[in-house]
Amino acid sequence: MQDPFDTLGLEPRFALDLAQAEERHRTLSRTLHPDRNAGRPPAERRLALGRAIEVNSAWRALRDPIARAECLLARAGVLVGEGNEPRPPASLLMEMMEAREALTVARSHRDAIALEKLASAMRTRESALLEGLARAFDEAAGDRVILAQRALEDLGTLRYVRRFFAEVEAIEEELAS
Amino acid sequence: MAYSDKVIDHYENPRNVGTLDKDSGDVGTGLVGAPACGDVMRLQIRVSDAGVIEDAKFKTFGCGSAIASSSLATEWIKGKTLDEAETIKNTQIVEELNLPPVKIHCSVLAEDAIKSAIADFRAKQAARRELEKQD
Repeated sequence: MQDPFDTLGLEPRFALDLAQAEERHRTLSRTLHPDRNAGRPPAERRLALGRAIEVNSAWRALRDPIARAECLLARAGVLVGEGNEPRPPASLLMEMMEAREALTVARSHRDAIALEKLASAMRTRESALLEGLARAFDEAAGDRVILAQRALEDLGTLRYVRRFFAEVEAIEEELAS
Repeated sequence: MAYSDKVIDHYENPRNVGTLDKDSGDVGTGLVGAPACGDVMRLQIRVSDAGVIEDAKFKTFGCGSAIASSSLATEWIKGKTLDEAETIKNTQIVEELNLPPVKIHCSVLAEDAIKSAIADFRAKQAARRELEKQD
């Protein structure tokens, strides 16, 4: 896949202006839409369709902070994923174990208020993480070693946070039914 | 992705889910995680004076394969000595549960959890012996 920042013609930053990125996605999608290219030769129509798919997946990646961080790390040559990331610190594992256990309790008591409290605390945690990552990416300015040191651990934490919110959503659905 | 029957069985009827008192002298706790997927796994052992694992409990927040791997691990280590339990390899878990390549890291996590629970128990024992020496 081509780099999503390049695809949408955006400056590669973690602190991305999402409204601007969405607007770029919309404009490009409109030009590449099959209806707009109906009168063109088949080769050009295929090309436009391929580009349209690329533009869509670029926008999907960039609007997700985890995928966006992974793109930026890939640009800097930092390997991510299984086996390439540091072991999570014990404090994080303990925090996430406790947070998930608290969700289990809220679920078994069907306690929507407790659930919202837990979710709200994690949203605060997430905001701080995103701010920290934005700073790390700006300050590292593409330096591979510094980025690996500063961004990988927060990226891992962010994945734990996402798992937490997936569980919150599942419980909310269960409570609503 | 299709899970094997054994994974589904452990997922639907996990063995030994629960908690042991982590502050107790005869309990060792292993807490491990995979940041690439956001899994967290806790495995605890209660060890007799003779060095035999009398009880094992786990709690895993993760995918079906991670839950099955840790459930199987607790089943296997119960009744074993620490030395025997330490020889369990993730490849044995992969084979028993028929895990696909993308889920091998779940078995690695379970092996790590066993080892780190044993290490925690041994560290506690060593600390206690050190205290006794001082008395």
